[in-house]
Amino acid sequence: MKANHELCERGIFYEELVARLEDRALVIVNVMPKEIFAAGHIPGSIHLPITGIEAKARQRISNLDQEIAVYCAGPH
Amino acid sequence: MGYTRVRHYHGGMEEWSDRGASIETSMIVAERAAVRTATRQSSAARFSWLETLAGWRLERLIGIWLGMIAVFGVIYWLAGLSLGWSLRAGSDWVKPDLEGLETALYFSFVTALSIGYGDVIPTGALRVPAVIEGIAGLLIFGCVISKLVSRRQEELTEEIHRTTFDDRLDRVRTNLHLVFSDLGAVQQLQAERGALPGQALRRLESAVRVFRGELQTIHDLLYASRLEPDEETLESLLANLTICLQSLIELNSARPGSDGVSVPLDTGLHSISALAVEICGECVPRQHAQALKDSMDQIQELARRIA
Repeated sequence: MKANHELCERGIFYEELVARLEDRALVIVNVMPKEIFAAGHIPGSIHLPITGIEAKARQRISNLDQEIAVYCAGPH
Repeated sequence: MGYTRVRHYHGGMEEWSDRGASIETSMIVAERAAVRTATRQSSAARFSWLETLAGWRLERLIGIWLGMIAVFGVIYWLAGLSLGWSLRAGSDWVKPDLEGLETALYFSFVTALSIGYGDVIPTGALRVPAVIEGIAGLLIFGCVISKLVSRRQEELTEEIHRTTFDDRLDRVRTNLHLVFSDLGAVQQLQAERGALPGQALRRLESAVRVFRGELQTIHDLLYASRLEPDEETLESLLANLTICLQSLIELNSARPGSDGVSVPLDTGLHSISALAVEICGECVPRQHAQALKDSMDQIQELARRIA
């Protein structure tokens, strides 16, 4: 629950995301299953499926202050 | 998880692809998934034609069923005309004339419906198409019946969803009204005593908690709900939300520094602000009437004032 609360705390919108695709300060995270991720995802986004996300996230993103944009199938 | 700067892209892949942005794919994983799907498909291939049949629309199935009856009826009739073996009605052969065509079509209907009165019977090789028609008729008619049943079930499910949804909206409206009353009572106490007594502070905390929950519901309603409330309902919800926010702002600004320190209250207010700031005419995924957009913009403006 805590993780969900954190994930939904603030939003990011399409325009900003498009503008920042090349921005290395922003890590874009896809939380969908790997088949769906493979079929198509936002360019440059990394894959952290929602199952077991806590452990995997620590491996891939060690900086707790890293700016992260999370998305799934949407819209919601 | 400890990350402090996580933001959620609400639009997700659906909005991303809808708006024509570029999409990246990972071929290896996609190919593996395709192989798995193909394996599953080959095992299911034996019954795929049956699934195709079940996937057709009701009107199409009925059309095919009637068409099949007509075609088989003509076959029974033509068989008697050209090959010498025919249908028998009692002790008489069905003749290849107009009356015979009627009897052949009647026999075809009876066979397709698996009724089998036995007043008309096929003879010789004509038994083969009669059996084939019987089997095909059962399958297609079974699909027609299952479609009719599932259509009714879908209607019922939709009705249940709608009723639950309306109940939920009613609950939100009632709770917002209670929150507003509570905020008013706290405001009155504050005006009378010049400060927030402990009990009033607790009441305020409770009202803020309920308000936060209902605000989350309205937020979900605007961003994630499959069903859409009608404009009138949404308008009243937004109006309730606005007066509650205004009342909260007044209370918060009049809250004395040292007397009214409350961590749960501050956390609640922070959450309310974070949720309400995402409600504005252009932020929400759906398009609404200008009046509603204005109400949403006002809510976003008020949310900024809480923060």
